[in-house]
Amino acid sequence: MKRSLEVLPDGILAERAADGDATAFEVLVFRHGSLMRAYAVRVLGNQSEAEDVVQDVLIQAWGQLDRLNDPNAVKSWLMRMVSNRAIDRIRRRREHSEIEDWNAPAPSHQSPERVVEVRMQMSALASVLDRLPAMQRECWMLKETGGLSYVEIAESLGVPTSTVRGQLARARQTVLREMEVWR
Amino acid sequence: MNDDDHESMLDGLAGADLDGHTIDELSDYLDSGREPLDPGIEASPGCQLALDALLRLRTQTWALLKSEAATHSEQDRSWMHAVLQNISLEAHAGRDIPLRHPDPEVHLRITEGSVRTLIRGVGDSVGGVIVGRVRLDGDVTTLDAPITVAITASAAFGNNLERLSQLIRDRVVAELATHTELNVVAVDVTIIDIHTQRVARPEDS
Repeated sequence: MKRSLEVLPDGILAERAADGDATAFEVLVFRHGSLMRAYAVRVLGNQSEAEDVVQDVLIQAWGQLDRLNDPNAVKSWLMRMVSNRAIDRIRRRREHSEIEDWNAPAPSHQSPERVVEVRMQMSALASVLDRLPAMQRECWMLKETGGLSYVEIAESLGVPTSTVRGQLARARQTVLREMEVWR
Repeated sequence: MNDDDHESMLDGLAGADLDGHTIDELSDYLDSGREPLDPGIEASPGCQLALDALLRLRTQTWALLKSEAATHSEQDRSWMHAVLQNISLEAHAGRDIPLRHPDPEVHLRITEGSVRTLIRGVGDSVGGVIVGRVRLDGDVTTLDAPITVAITASAAFGNNLERLSQLIRDRVVAELATHTELNVVAVDVTIIDIHTQRVARPEDS
């Protein structure tokens, strides 16, 4: 059955999964799980936290699929849940740290393998994003790929909208400068 | 972050004359889908360059995520296997559907979830059909209440849809008569998709 489901578009799989078809849900997870994880890693800057977030999202998704209005939009629905869960994590971290830490440069938590990998990918953007201070990176990813608005990010992080605007402006400035997409 | 910081932002954009606009403003303009059209921004070569750069960044951030997802997809598979095993994927039971029993003291019930699973299986057994959603419309908790079964399905390319729908209808009616006492007054089949045998990839959706 699994193989025949793999040919199906998201919408019909989401409908089956909402009706309790675990196999259809698994096909959806295998189709979009990597992107969800990559996104969470980029927002949170941490592999194991990202994996926890995606696992939480999958549990929540399974329980709530029948409330999804447009089954064809299941991918953005899942990504949106990753955004929300990641924000929960960020909030919890903030409760344990001083505001000053928000602007600190990204800690060198990257494994040597990861550093090499990034270089091998020759991905300038990846390395710029890796070096952004945590809050700038979080705001950037939530806004540019998560599609959240300034107000949504501000409200969910519990900070003023002006702070989010400022963080994004700084991130944008750094990324634009380093990427030299300008020219 | 204060207004001075906003001003200093332009420092990074050496040589670009934004004709009095800021990057922040241009980013908002992009977010609004360039509506309403701002003739000042549209006529400024500096702003056009900046808008272009901002758009490219957005696209590249997505492309980066996709390439990272693709790079890890093999190792992710085993991780996802483990995750799926950790979480219990139990179907929603739904409403209780009564069954008759000669002894009035005995109350037999089956769950709506199990009936939906039954219908899904029956539909899938029709060659060229994969069932999507199954709904039981009507008060299934009351014996003899009129029930309409609504089914969405995807059909394999090249099939006669009318014939497929009729096959699904006939089999579902027969199967429900065997296993339940539902008073099925109609089976509505909606073919919502045509699928080919090509495996869909993440980027298709």
